[in-house]
Amino acid sequence: MAKTIMIVDDSASIRQVVTIALKGAGYDVIEACDGKDALSKLTGQKINLIITDVNMPNMDGITFVQEAKKLAAYKFTPMMMLTTEAAADKKQAGKDAGAKAWLTKPFQAPTLLDAVSKLVLP
Amino acid sequence: MSDFDSALKIFAQEAEQLLQDMESALLTLETDPNDGETINSLFRAMHTIKGSAGLFGFNPIVAFTHEAESVLDKVRNGEQAIDAGLISVLLDSKDHTAKLVEHCLNCPDAALPDELAATSSSLIQRLTGKSPAHTLQSTDIPSPLLSEGGGNMSLDDSWLISLDFKYDALRNGMDPLSFLRYLKTLGEIKDILTFFPDMPQDAEMNPESCYLHFKIAFNSDASKQTIEAVFEFAADDCDIKILPPNSKVNDYLQLLDALDEDHVSRLGDMLLQIGALTANDVTHALNRQARARQTDMEPVKPIGEILIEQQVVQQPVVDQALKKQEQTKQKVAAESNYIRVDAGKLGHLINLVGELVISSAAMNLIVDRHGLSDAGDVAASMNSLVNAIRDTALELRMVQIGETFSRFRRVVRDVSNELGKEIELKIYGGETELDKTVVEKINDPLTHLIRNSLDHGIESPEQRLAAGKPAQGSVQLNAYHESGHIVIQIADDGAGLDSEKIVAKAIANGLIKPDHGLSQQEIYNLIFAAGLSTKEQATNLSGRGVGMDVVKKNIEALRGSVSIASFPGEGTTISIKLPLTLAIIDGFMVGANEVRYIIPLNMVDECIEMDARECEINETEHYINLRGHALPYLRLGDYFHDPKTESAKKRESVVVVKFGQDKAGLVVDALHGEHQTVIKPLGKLFEKLKCITGATVLGDGNVALILDVQGLIETAITRRKRTAAPPA
Amino acid sequence: MSIEVKQLKKAVANLVVAGEMTIYTALEQKTVFSKCLDHNKELQIDLSAVSEIDSAGLQLLLLLKREANQRHIKLSLINHSQAVVEVFELLNLGNHFGDPIVLSANWKST
Repeated sequence: MAKTIMIVDDSASIRQVVTIALKGAGYDVIEACDGKDALSKLTGQKINLIITDVNMPNMDGITFVQEAKKLAAYKFTPMMMLTTEAAADKKQAGKDAGAKAWLTKPFQAPTLLDAVSKLVLP
Repeated sequence: MSDFDSALKIFAQEAEQLLQDMESALLTLETDPNDGETINSLFRAMHTIKGSAGLFGFNPIVAFTHEAESVLDKVRNGEQAIDAGLISVLLDSKDHTAKLVEHCLNCPDAALPDELAATSSSLIQRLTGKSPAHTLQSTDIPSPLLSEGGGNMSLDDSWLISLDFKYDALRNGMDPLSFLRYLKTLGEIKDILTFFPDMPQDAEMNPESCYLHFKIAFNSDASKQTIEAVFEFAADDCDIKILPPNSKVNDYLQLLDALDEDHVSRLGDMLLQIGALTANDVTHALNRQARARQTDMEPVKPIGEILIEQQVVQQPVVDQALKKQEQTKQKVAAESNYIRVDAGKLGHLINLVGELVISSAAMNLIVDRHGLSDAGDVAASMNSLVNAIRDTALELRMVQIGETFSRFRRVVRDVSNELGKEIELKIYGGETELDKTVVEKINDPLTHLIRNSLDHGIESPEQRLAAGKPAQGSVQLNAYHESGHIVIQIADDGAGLDSEKIVAKAIANGLIKPDHGLSQQEIYNLIFAAGLSTKEQATNLSGRGVGMDVVKKNIEALRGSVSIASFPGEGTTISIKLPLTLAIIDGFMVGANEVRYIIPLNMVDECIEMDARECEINETEHYINLRGHALPYLRLGDYFHDPKTESAKKRESVVVVKFGQDKAGLVVDALHGEHQTVIKPLGKLFEKLKCITGATVLGDGNVALILDVQGLIETAITRRKRTAAPPA
Repeated sequence: MSIEVKQLKKAVANLVVAGEMTIYTALEQKTVFSKCLDHNKELQIDLSAVSEIDSAGLQLLLLLKREANQRHIKLSLINHSQAVVEVFELLNLGNHFGDPIVLSANWKST
């Protein structure tokens, strides 16, 4: 049973790269383009990891994490925040919201898979 | 047969008696455990039975009583306390011994029945307390997790990782199992213990809280940092301790040994550097120390002790690091063990040493002249000692250039703010030493050169970005020793010199002709010519009056030289080469009118014999025609003495000296060659004397005057102008 | 993620855990286990239908084992699913639970 990972990012190219990398490693992937879109796609199915960008239109990553944590089916799902180097305060905000893992952008596919593997092996 | 039988009977009776005594002794001990004589009698009972049984070959009895005897021996010697537990074991042992005796007497050749053998071994185990069976019985809940290879996972090649997850780990989405699975991709889990000592009873246990603790023996070639990174995301939800394998301790010890002294710093930093600790280990230990300091709850422990307590590093590694730290500290302490001395006193000492050198040379000369061979050895050894003293004395005045360099940090900061540029000052070789008197004089030229770099060299951030360079520029100050000189470099990573502008400016100022045919390097050297500033808009920092020509002159006055290297777009490097000290001079000795003069060697351009075809003196207009150029000259003999009477016969030579862009010829009678000498300043009386900077005493006792080349050249030039002017 | 409890006879129960044993199901499953511990002297836990087990699920099994030991209840885990075996192997827990683990031939080694 393949593990499912949701990637939430407003950049289509990042979504695509992440999806290709994750699928290549054997994960199932659900894509969402912002927090709102992501919430609408959290319909109770099993998701093993949610990776989310911080700055997004409609609903930012921090709010999304807070909202997702309120859903019974996802309140214990590991969340990974995509942060930029400079935004140390964002990393802490993400952690406070419930995203304990993080990945600094820009990253390459092996780094992403490494970080993901620590939480969920395919 | 009867003998043996009766002996057996005696043994039986004796054993029965002894065991009887043993029983009553044990019962006595129950009320009075400290009765030494009773304990002794216990020991004797077992001892005697063992001895007798040995005679008859009753090995089962010997084997069993031997153990009891050993235990009682310990009790007798006070090594082991006797308590109710032991007394009951001993009573059982007494009963068992009786059974063994009975068995051996009845069927001496038969093997011990299983039941008796089993009792023997179980009693031995109870007596000696060594047995795992014994601990198993006493532990109410068998806890195979902890006992299986348990507390002592001392696998030498294994990292010992202990993970203590916090209650919220699971709620935060951190599943310990995930990290362990990932860990397995980095190496082999040799052993793993799972325990949950703080998991409450059924009713209170919250299934969403995490109660898991793990101890893991892990074999991997990964670094400590890599292993720690596995648990990176759990860092907030888990106490992680990673103890390097014992087999790594030696590596760490070697790394510590090899650690450069510059890197010996705080313990944590050192261990971090060699990879024995991770940054997190150090932070945790420091936090712990800080807490202890704040709360006064526990004594503040040294960081090393905390690290060992936290089991993130082995004791020997910490010990070695502390040792290294101590050694370096001592060395540094030795180095910084200064005495402040009045510079005047030091100067006086150096003068005296200079005199001593001269006297010593004079004495050598006399010893030689009189052929005093027996004095020769003494003189020679004194001479070498005197030279050593001279070198040491000069070293006393050596200071590190670092302090001078550091002062420019402020200059760079202020100037870059003022100019709106981002500039970083990098300092290298601050420990390079040179004479204090030189350091004092180098300050102004350095300031000027650095300002030049800041102002003209480094471009604005926009220009830099446009050129594909980082917005922040850098100016580098570097110093090093090179063949008895110190070289100071000021390097910037700016735009480099603009040779077209230099040429245009030089042509405009009449320095060169449009068809100059100069090489790139020669063009760069033009910036040392007077009145050439290439920056179109002069700022108040540089380019106003004081030019590079002045810098060059100041440096040459210190008997130094300056050179420039520049690459378009990459930056400019200016190198200043200075003598290490002003107290000793590499001179060129010449003679005129029987008097000897010393010209600083680096100011000598060339020496020409007067009768050579290429050189012709014009006595009336005071110039020498040198290969078609008019060169002002001075006849040293005439200048310092009365115009000599018996002239022309002598062969004269011309020493061409240069200072900055100026040249002049000094006409002398004799060339004596290079001469290294200690400069003796002239007394107050001669302070205002022009064209002489000092004197030195030669080995033969004669005085040689050290010439002020700059002054002489000026004199020659003015005289030439004066004489050249009226006819015009 | 349901647990089917079959009362084999008085004080002997057979529990079949189906679906996941994770933090999402732990609370519910613990209630069932606790109740069974209270009313039985012998428990058989059939793990054949456990599709996924995480640390929370593992903790439940550890709790069961400890409670059973303390209350002298005979506990046996049977028919470990591959997911359970994987975790037991990862943590080297087979001996702790002391139940025979049957490996079927077509299981890949994890």
